[in-house]
Amino acid sequence: MAIVKMNEFSLFAFDSVKEDLLHELQKFEYVHFTNLGVDETLSELGLKNVRVPESLMEIDDDINNVSYAISVLSKFHIKPKGIKAMQEGVKTYTFNELEEQALSIEYKEILGEVDTLWKRMESLKLEKEKAKARLSELKPWKSLDVSISEINGFSKAEIFTGTVPKKLKERFSEEMTGFENTYYEVVEEDKDNLYVVAMSYGEEVEKALDSLRNTSFSKVIIQGEEKPAQEMEKNNKRIEELNSQMGDVEKSIREMTPEIPRLELVYDYLSNKKLRTAAAENFLSTENVDVIKGYIPTDKADEFENNIRDRLQNIYYMEMKEAERDSDDTPILLKNSNFAKAFESLTGMYSMPKYSEVDPTPLLAPFYLAFFGMMAADVGYGLIMLIGTLFVLNKFNLKENTRLFVKFFYYLSFSVIVWGFLYGSLFGGIIPLPGLFEPAEDYNTLLILSIIFGLIHIYFALAIKAYVLIHNGKVKDALFDVGLWYLALTGAIVYLLNIVVTLPEIVKTISLVVMIVGMVGIVLTGGRDAEGLGGKIGGGIYSLYGMSGYVGDFVSYSRLMALGLAGGFIAGAVNMMAGMVAGSGVLGFIGAIIIFIFGQTFNLGLTLLGAYVHAIRLIFVEFFGKFYEGGGKRFSGFRSKPKYINLK
Amino acid sequence: MIFTEFIVSNGGVFFGGLGIAIAVFLSGIGSAIGIGIVGQAASGLIIEEPDKFGRSLVLQLLPGTQGLYGFVIGLLVLGQLDAGMSLAHGMYLMAACMPIGFVGWQSAIAQGKVAAAGISILAKNEEHSTKGIIYSVMVETYALLAFVISLILVNAVSF
Repeated sequence: MAIVKMNEFSLFAFDSVKEDLLHELQKFEYVHFTNLGVDETLSELGLKNVRVPESLMEIDDDINNVSYAISVLSKFHIKPKGIKAMQEGVKTYTFNELEEQALSIEYKEILGEVDTLWKRMESLKLEKEKAKARLSELKPWKSLDVSISEINGFSKAEIFTGTVPKKLKERFSEEMTGFENTYYEVVEEDKDNLYVVAMSYGEEVEKALDSLRNTSFSKVIIQGEEKPAQEMEKNNKRIEELNSQMGDVEKSIREMTPEIPRLELVYDYLSNKKLRTAAAENFLSTENVDVIKGYIPTDKADEFENNIRDRLQNIYYMEMKEAERDSDDTPILLKNSNFAKAFESLTGMYSMPKYSEVDPTPLLAPFYLAFFGMMAADVGYGLIMLIGTLFVLNKFNLKENTRLFVKFFYYLSFSVIVWGFLYGSLFGGIIPLPGLFEPAEDYNTLLILSIIFGLIHIYFALAIKAYVLIHNGKVKDALFDVGLWYLALTGAIVYLLNIVVTLPEIVKTISLVVMIVGMVGIVLTGGRDAEGLGGKIGGGIYSLYGMSGYVGDFVSYSRLMALGLAGGFIAGAVNMMAGMVAGSGVLGFIGAIIIFIFGQTFNLGLTLLGAYVHAIRLIFVEFFGKFYEGGGKRFSGFRSKPKYINLK
Repeated sequence: MIFTEFIVSNGGVFFGGLGIAIAVFLSGIGSAIGIGIVGQAASGLIIEEPDKFGRSLVLQLLPGTQGLYGFVIGLLVLGQLDAGMSLAHGMYLMAACMPIGFVGWQSAIAQGKVAAAGISILAKNEEHSTKGIIYSVMVETYALLAFVISLILVNAVSF
């Protein structure tokens, strides 16, 4: 349906023109290469893997350096904040524009400059740290009124500087008494240590040292020349100097921040160049000729061939044929209308379809839309979504994926508004609206409605299964695996309906017969692929057991009612709380407004999140479970995903 | 005898109130534990990659819904509470509160564990973190079913 038809091509071209050819193909974009390196039959024929050129390493280095420079510059870049920045958003370039502009940028110079500046910055930082450390070392000795060189300069006397644990203070003063030629002074005390200078002369030195050792004295060598206070002054000056130098460097880096967008361009350009260079890994080659295989969309085949002919001037050989339907290797490219395109992310999240399947996106979109709305169901919330998404879509330059995601919520907002009117809910009933349902009372109607939605959803899923089977020529399978199930399910549902509503006897009988026919059919055919009679019967009975799964599926749709109600009730509770405080004067009124805004915003977020994921669950488990296999490969165009720009 | 008479004449409102308490506190405890589990896992991630805060917050919120379901049921029962209600009515309301109370409690914890594991998807492969959200939502189905039953029970019988 909406899976793009593919052609498979094999191209033989001279190795010497490889780079030109790849460049041309990258401009063309819509090429998906098959990795031939893993094909053993070809390598047995003597074809060798193409050696990836060494320039790849160089490109890799460049990419790393560019992204490093961007991260350095971004640290100093004051980003324009808020709405204005988002309005500017990302720019769109064509591939040629990107190449032209990127090539005109002397990025290596910029990189060099940034690197030098940053290295200078780092070394200044290091020096500053050192000076700070010196400062804290000197601090305890600040009140020592002797220059350090003097202390170290005695020839006859010994001087000891160091620390003694504070808890040994008394013992220290005891130990140090009774000397004649020894003098000591406690310069400073902090919470753990005493900072001590001691001085001894002649024979007493050894004894003094013993006393010091007895009190866990540990020696500290004070670095420097002048008095500690002067040394500190020097260091402080140095730090100031370093600070101003760092300021200068920072200023120069800041001046370079306008280069960021240019570097970003280079980054995206280089990523494409890398992809192009590395693409050769997919090829095989003889001595002179490269063998290239891959896929292109059928509708672009002519353009593809023309491009190659122009570039290679007829010196090539190419075979092209339509891709095989059953091949799992065929890459999948989805093409949908504007509306369904917004839902492609859901399909992608589950798995791409196989080439022989249908694209489930347009099939799931209307259901997702309805389910989401039923679970969020509030006119106010819907309007907020609608206005918000419209504003973003019109005012902001977004990346393609983000834009699609916003668009997705734009479509959903309509459903939320419509269901909001049906439920008669505006911000949980702040202004009473006449609705079709009164959720708090009609929950039974809503529950039945939910199950009916489930019924439609699942029957539709089975219909798609039948369509795919018939399309692939398996009419018998369609009859057995879908037709019989329709009979069994419909029969069972109508028959069970008898319990609740009285139906004419004839309907009851017919439904019973239909159900039994369906069930017997399922038992007879369900195990047809199994081996042996026992296997066939066992398989058939097991298939019928699958019926219990359908009960679970239908019940699962009750979440449509439950989430819609829960969201509505919570919104109502917020309003109730706001109403309680609103009565008490001006302050109360302000409080009520705060409670209302905060509570409703919280509930809005929670409701949307709940609706988003629970609708996904219904699609993935209940819907896809019936017909969808997935497991296709995504068509990866010959472009790297741009990080900073939109590439057309 | 006097005690039973007291219970019969005054028990209704007591059991109704007890029902509200059960619906709210059990599911609330569960959600708090669940959110706590995810929060711990998420904090580890944010140290390295603060940019992923928004997405991790979504995962953390997931086990929080049970508490809200319990709250909604509690609120609905509150609307029926009346000082003179019969014992049978009160006990019935309490029974109606049981499903969301118990299922909400345990499912929120289980959901929290799944969501915490989802944080590691977010850490290693951000593109696919929505899949972690969906795994976690699978657990919530059962809390929803319990909520639906509690909701129907609260309104199903009129006294």
